[in-house]
Amino acid sequence: MISPMIQLILTFLVVVGVFVALYFLSRRSQPAGGSESLLEGRAALDALQRELLPPEMLDRIFSKADHEYVSQDASAAVRELFLKERRKIALSWAHELREQILSLRRFHLGSARFYARLSVRTEIKLALQFLSLLFLCQILRGLFFVRGAYGAPRVVGYAVAASARICSISENAMSFLKAGELDSPSENPERTPMLL
Amino acid sequence: MRPVSKRMDVVEAGDDLRRRTLSHIKRPLDRLIYLASTRDYNTGFYYHDGLASRFSQEVVCEALADCHRQAFRELLLSPLENLVGQMAEYIETSNTSPADFVAAWKKLEPYRVAVPVDTDLLTAEFLFSNFKIALAILEARLNTRRQAAPDASLHQSPAQ
Repeated sequence: MISPMIQLILTFLVVVGVFVALYFLSRRSQPAGGSESLLEGRAALDALQRELLPPEMLDRIFSKADHEYVSQDASAAVRELFLKERRKIALSWAHELREQILSLRRFHLGSARFYARLSVRTEIKLALQFLSLLFLCQILRGLFFVRGAYGAPRVVGYAVAASARICSISENAMSFLKAGELDSPSENPERTPMLL
Repeated sequence: MRPVSKRMDVVEAGDDLRRRTLSHIKRPLDRLIYLASTRDYNTGFYYHDGLASRFSQEVVCEALADCHRQAFRELLLSPLENLVGQMAEYIETSNTSPADFVAAWKKLEPYRVAVPVDTDLLTAEFLFSNFKIALAILEARLNTRRQAAPDASLHQSPAQ
């Protein structure tokens, strides 16, 4: 009586296991929300390249000239206001940078790694880059909170350089996708289903 | 072909506006305020009668929006010292008492409605923050002058 019951439970577990494995395999073989993650990735890349990372914008947010001007010319109350305001902006910048990097990571998880057929080594390297940059953003937020906008110039430099590297990789992945979209179905029937 | 010819019209209208009007407005702050004032706050569309006589309303709107974004960018990238200078000069030409002007701008924050519609939050907040600091600097200067003025009159009184 016990033996058939155990057999039944084992069969049931095997069936459930097969279904779970099939579910994850189907998720891996299809991009998760392909066009949505591409749009999100494109928007994140635009925000990073046009708003968060341009040198002229970074020069303004972390401007030493502004700091010196206020330190020399203004009263203590104005100096305090200046540092408070710049800290607020620096915190927003670090927050926004993290959000956009997270969007790019979603794009890579959802589309880029699937379409670009990245090697395991490249995927691991990219994952580590994302992880280290996200960690750096958290460190930056902590430093800005404690020491203000002018308290972490080197870490800002590292974060900007790492973000630029990820932007470059993402841009390459997106240009690959665009090239794929331009191919007509008749010319490249193998690629078309992946883009749908 | 249509989008390309339309874009050429926009460039032409923008150049026309820069040559005839904006070149006479020296400060980016004044240009930003002027261009924001050509926008209908109910619809977000820009209007300019002079340009409308030569270009379609759609082209005029796009050209004004382009110039608005450019003025915003110029002001955004101005160093704080330069922004304070622009504001001081703007106050002088406004025919308002500096104290009233600073008080009104601190309270109403009119610059918040002067940014182009598609400006991202961080960029807009950065400019607002700079306006806030610039106003604090100008207010502190006014207070210093106000305090110095009675002292000066006190110093002068024995000589009178």
